[in-house]
Amino acid sequence: MRSFGFSTGAVALADFERAIDLLSTTAATAIELSALRFGELPALMAAIPTLDLVKYKYVSVHAPGAFSAAEEPQVVELLQAAADREWNIVLHPDTVHDHAVWAPFGSLLCIENMDRRKPIGRTAAELSRIFERLPDASLCFDFAHARQCDTSLTEAFWILEEFATKVAQVHISELDGHSRHVRLSPGGVAACRSFAEWIPQDVPLIIEAPVEPHEIEEEIARTLDALTPRLAVAAA
Amino acid sequence: MLRGRLAGLVPTNTSLVVFGSLGRNEVTQGSDVDWTLLLDGPADPQHLDVALQIERRLEEMGRKEPGREGTFGGLAVSHDIIHKIGGGDDTNRNLTQRILLLLESACIGDAVAYQSVINNVVTRYVYEDVAAGAGDTPYKVPRFLQNDIARYWRTVAVDFAYKRRLRAAQGWALRTAKLRMSRKLTYVAGLLSTFSVATDFADDSQQRRDVGGYRVIKHLRDRFRETPLGIIAGTILQYSPSLDDPARRLFRAYDGFLAILDDEDDRKELEKLSPQDSEHSAVYAHVHQLGDEFQKALTTIFFDSDTPIQALTRRYGVF
Repeated sequence: MRSFGFSTGAVALADFERAIDLLSTTAATAIELSALRFGELPALMAAIPTLDLVKYKYVSVHAPGAFSAAEEPQVVELLQAAADREWNIVLHPDTVHDHAVWAPFGSLLCIENMDRRKPIGRTAAELSRIFERLPDASLCFDFAHARQCDTSLTEAFWILEEFATKVAQVHISELDGHSRHVRLSPGGVAACRSFAEWIPQDVPLIIEAPVEPHEIEEEIARTLDALTPRLAVAAA
Repeated sequence: MLRGRLAGLVPTNTSLVVFGSLGRNEVTQGSDVDWTLLLDGPADPQHLDVALQIERRLEEMGRKEPGREGTFGGLAVSHDIIHKIGGGDDTNRNLTQRILLLLESACIGDAVAYQSVINNVVTRYVYEDVAAGAGDTPYKVPRFLQNDIARYWRTVAVDFAYKRRLRAAQGWALRTAKLRMSRKLTYVAGLLSTFSVATDFADDSQQRRDVGGYRVIKHLRDRFRETPLGIIAGTILQYSPSLDDPARRLFRAYDGFLAILDDEDDRKELEKLSPQDSEHSAVYAHVHQLGDEFQKALTTIFFDSDTPIQALTRRYGVF
């Protein structure tokens, strides 16, 4: 059975300790420790030895969504603590200033496909150009981003087809009109169902939709149900 | 040059799309700029401002304005293009924008919105062509799409007569030449693209790997990324050497047509020529002869060749 769980940012924003506490009694078997702002990263990385993550089969860290070129070496240095534990490091490709400093993470570096607002990393062709510079990096396939870029999911199909051997993690949620992650709507569930055959079954699922504590289990169940392949969509 | 001056204006969820000779990559001296700002996302008052800015920049660059039918210039919304296929709301403008988006368009700058709209249009044609519950598959000529491409071609031909009446002799000879060459070329490219689904997915193993029909959609999308000449050249190479001779005749005739459009004097003569004076015009006689050669080459390719195109034309081309 695939691992599944939440991003700590979706459960409790920057308060990763509270998120871990809230998720401790749920069915989640995967977790993404999120430090979406540069300022959140030092505290998260410093806290790693004290965090109770025993229940999780899969742990990853989401790198900050923006940092300057001057801050980049420090970000890489801090994330080394995650790499030392063999945890994947999810990175937005548009944040990179110098690809060379990220290359040593190898396949633990998990490049995420981007939403429409970003200038790169949105399509299979754009991701190819990133993987040319980071050939060992893996892929965090973000379903919401791919669906926002192309609601027909043709591009999503092509990303997964083109980088089938690189997919290491999947982000699941939906985007609202302002590109904010939200819970799956009925349309999002239908899109997941139509595409479930193409989402690798052995790759951890991380839900990025913000939820209230009482919604965690429900969202896990809904997401897993939406992504259960039904093999009924052949030939549409 | 257009990219440098215009691409920076285009906001998220929009793409600047050019059609016509720019979309076919056949720009000649007198080419106009048929463009639209394609919206694929939430409405934003800023979009109209951007469209007006594009219009002003093109004016500053001295580019000829889009045609007078109002099909191009300004805004086009993906919802109409994707949802209104057929039915009373599918206007001439909508049909033209949709089919030309597939067959002779190019994007200047960020192409994410542009590609999304194309993918969604193709998805509708492919999915809705499959008869639900009847064991039907998308690995055949997509009739829904083929019929719409044929409808567009017939609409162009009917509108030719409409414009001849509306505008009297003005531009008649040039429109005639374009109808017989570049408009027909676009139709041919569309027809061959739809045929290619049947020929390129004939292998069962390809079909088994295609849950959801995404490979067919991507196949058509990739075809439509080519120019009409590119689509035709690709088909001819696929069946080489069977089509080499008619291909030579076809491209030679088309090359001659483009040379006439690119000659300022010849183009002006065609723009001004009336039907009554046409028999005294060497330029018109030449372009008419090129049109005949072009048609003869097409007749060979579609009706007299030993390729699958002949059988597909018999099966899908008329009824």
